[in-house]
Amino acid sequence: MTTYLIRRFFQSIVTLFIVSIATFGMMHLMPNGVVRGMLGQRATPQTIAELTHRLGLDQPLYVQYWRWLDRLVVHFDLGTSYQKSQTVNALLKEDMGQSMYIVGLALFFTIVISVPVGVLQATRRNSVTDYTITTFSFIGYAIPVFFLGVVLRDLFQVQFHLIPIAKQIDSFHAAFSQPDQMILPVATLVISGVAGYSRYMRSSMLDEITQDYVRTAIAKGATKRRVLYRHVLRNAMIPMITLVGLSLPTLVGGALLVEQIFNIQGIGVLTINAALSSDFVIVLGTTMLTAIVTILGSLVADISYAALDPRVRLT
Amino acid sequence: MTAMSIMRLLPNGGSSPEGSIFLDGRDLLQLDDEQMAKIRGNDIGMIFQDPMTSLNPTMTIGKQIAESVRIHRGASKAEGLERAIEVLSLVGMPSPQQRARDYPHQLSGGMRQRAMIAIALANEPKLLIADEPTTALDVTVQKQILELIDGLRERLGMAVILVTHDLGVIAGRADRVNVMYAGRIVENTTTEMLYANPRHPYTEALFDSLPERGADSGTRLYSIPGMPPDLTKPPAACRFAARCRYAQDDCRAQDPPYRVDEVGHEFACFHPVGAALRSGEEVEVTLSEVTSTEELPTPELGEVLLEVTDLVKDFPITKGFLRRQIGSVSAVAGVSFSIRKGETVGLVGESGCGKTTVAKLIVGLEETTAGSMSLEGTDLATLKSGERRKKSRDVQLMFQDSYAAMDPRMRVRTVVREPLDIQKVGDKESREARIKELFEQVGLPASALERYPHEFSGGQRQRVGFARALAPAPKLIVADEPVSALDVSIQSQVLNLMKDLQAEHGLSYLFISHDLSVVRYVSDRIGVMYLGKLVEIGPAEAVYSKPIHHYTRGLLDTIPVADPEVEKAKASSGIVGELPSAINPPSGCRFRTRCPAAQDICAQTEPPLVPYGTDGHLAACHFPIWE
Repeated sequence: MTTYLIRRFFQSIVTLFIVSIATFGMMHLMPNGVVRGMLGQRATPQTIAELTHRLGLDQPLYVQYWRWLDRLVVHFDLGTSYQKSQTVNALLKEDMGQSMYIVGLALFFTIVISVPVGVLQATRRNSVTDYTITTFSFIGYAIPVFFLGVVLRDLFQVQFHLIPIAKQIDSFHAAFSQPDQMILPVATLVISGVAGYSRYMRSSMLDEITQDYVRTAIAKGATKRRVLYRHVLRNAMIPMITLVGLSLPTLVGGALLVEQIFNIQGIGVLTINAALSSDFVIVLGTTMLTAIVTILGSLVADISYAALDPRVRLT
Repeated sequence: MTAMSIMRLLPNGGSSPEGSIFLDGRDLLQLDDEQMAKIRGNDIGMIFQDPMTSLNPTMTIGKQIAESVRIHRGASKAEGLERAIEVLSLVGMPSPQQRARDYPHQLSGGMRQRAMIAIALANEPKLLIADEPTTALDVTVQKQILELIDGLRERLGMAVILVTHDLGVIAGRADRVNVMYAGRIVENTTTEMLYANPRHPYTEALFDSLPERGADSGTRLYSIPGMPPDLTKPPAACRFAARCRYAQDDCRAQDPPYRVDEVGHEFACFHPVGAALRSGEEVEVTLSEVTSTEELPTPELGEVLLEVTDLVKDFPITKGFLRRQIGSVSAVAGVSFSIRKGETVGLVGESGCGKTTVAKLIVGLEETTAGSMSLEGTDLATLKSGERRKKSRDVQLMFQDSYAAMDPRMRVRTVVREPLDIQKVGDKESREARIKELFEQVGLPASALERYPHEFSGGQRQRVGFARALAPAPKLIVADEPVSALDVSIQSQVLNLMKDLQAEHGLSYLFISHDLSVVRYVSDRIGVMYLGKLVEIGPAEAVYSKPIHHYTRGLLDTIPVADPEVEKAKASSGIVGELPSAINPPSGCRFRTRCPAAQDICAQTEPPLVPYGTDGHLAACHFPIWE
């Protein structure tokens, strides 16, 4: 186990390096975009050159990369935004809370709903219940998130005024203190999430139900309930755990579309705005953060996989 | 299926069984689900074919056994576990305390089946249903498990229903036998009577297909023509009529009723075979006359084709961050033998003895660690990969499971043509002609070329697999368990075909199987492998009837023979224990840990393979069985 973790740690470092180099390289393929953006229409070649020099953007790319890396490794400092006069660290800190809160809530409800729905479908395979739920999950799967979000917003907020329209949610406190504002963004994510997860849970259950050991359990005299909860469910949950682990990165990656539609200043919006205004430092920061959580997520998935299934050993 | 319906474990979708199933005066078919659940595992225990898949992989076996006790006896967790350990020791599980905490994957196949039996017996049922309980196990373990079931039956005074396709397993264990064909019982009598004097033509045909019958007389094996009827539209008359060699018009017109002869032998046939006995008359062992008595052609043996010398294969085991090598699995440890042109060499041994690795090395699927394999003077082990690929034309592999070994989305025409394409044999037309020729040789119609693998039956698929192996006109075919997945009657078809084509083309075979009677039937010489070593090799008859090595002797005693007399006469209990690990194989003679004759010297020096007699019979043993 320890050797496994050590190996994974070194592999992760290498992965992060590659991610940072690739992102850094791509960001700097468009020269001077930042400076022109910062100075606006009145920029003269002279002021552009001056600011470019001041920001260190006239240095060779590897020097710039080294400086960025040096600050990150030594001071955990991701740099300062070109457009906003704030450090990337501060920006991430500001926006991460509400993003994680919304996506986390959505993930929680998705699992809590999908598992029983999948179990119900699998145990009543090819019944009316099964077909009805299947129809709904295909519809949920087919509707794009942005469309679903817009429909929900217009229906509940604009048409029927069931939920008041509030001002922008720009902090964790704002998100946490206004639960009514959370309903629609979370519901949007949950609907499309359940559509996929419950299908997955259903097929995972069906795989297990047809296994020979289930027959053994029935031959022991176990009741249907007992067979289902003591034997099938645990084994069927194992692949689900992996799926959840792999969706952890969306926690910080934010749900861009939902944030846009429901006026939430989260990581998704931060990233897309930074990319549009060529504020590379921010994009680089959010990319690195997402990469780290992705790596952690798959590690968590692998470890819990081994914890649940005695046949799997981490080496 | 019948066994499953007793337990009311039939898969969904069928109509519920009709008729009645009485257990101790209660009709199980009249019970509701709840009452039935109380019968299952309490009054009737059941064991299944594959203990690996039949046990819950994420639950310790202790808990799985305890569950059965807790359901029916309302025992607490601790009491359940206590009983589990008790039952585990009853089924002969070594150190049951520790094993109870193990998960199924941590146990060997034999131990898993013991755990399975423990689950079935935890509540001391009146009836034990064993559905092919040893089909997934090795012969040596099979013997131990069958003996265990037998012993427990006596001790616990329960009845056993043993469901199996293996006539040998039945012969030594059952008191009465019901022979089923296409959903019906066609014959029902005592075991002795059935084997001595089968009355139904189907039973007779089954016996005639057994390779041990053919090996004694050197004749062709009988095979039942055609396939079992489609049970979605079962024939209204005798269901076996279409494949029966004695069928008359009345067989095709109406269903034969059960008849009982004077000694209580029941069968459903208008034209029974065998002798009608009067009560009191002694049964004389008259094996039915084999109808097709044409002698099999004996191929002429030429010079040496393949010479394998000191073949070694180790698989490294790695550990830690840098994947250091900490040991190795000694899969093949210095095996030498030769195959002559037109000869069949059989290779037998338990699973894990390295016979498949030898096959893989010879066809080039694995690289050798040491040793040489000389095919007509060229050493295959040291050839460069390109040259090796060209040479692989001469050595082809035939698989056990032809279905798994074929691309399911390729028509069999492409499957068979592929080796020709790879080896760039001839042009397009000649390849097509060759495929047609091959199909004719293996007895498949040319129309079958356009079909996909799943459209064939098991026996036909094995023919396609054979055609593919034959395609590049090899000199040697390595057949790894080619008939193990087939039924006896189909097995005999494939074996006959292999022998015919050998005589026609002067092919050599390396025939690998765990089934000694099959190997004996097809082989000129037999090699016996144990834990990576060749312990004995010699002419098939000599190895079979006068084995020198104790392992060979044990194997022969272990294999169930389809003859109740022989089974009863067996004195030795076969091979005890389980195959040791090949990671740290025993010093000296590798068999010493399970050998009845082992002495100190066996642990110190490894016995060399030395000749006995003049017929090329070699064995590696310090204390040979040799007068």
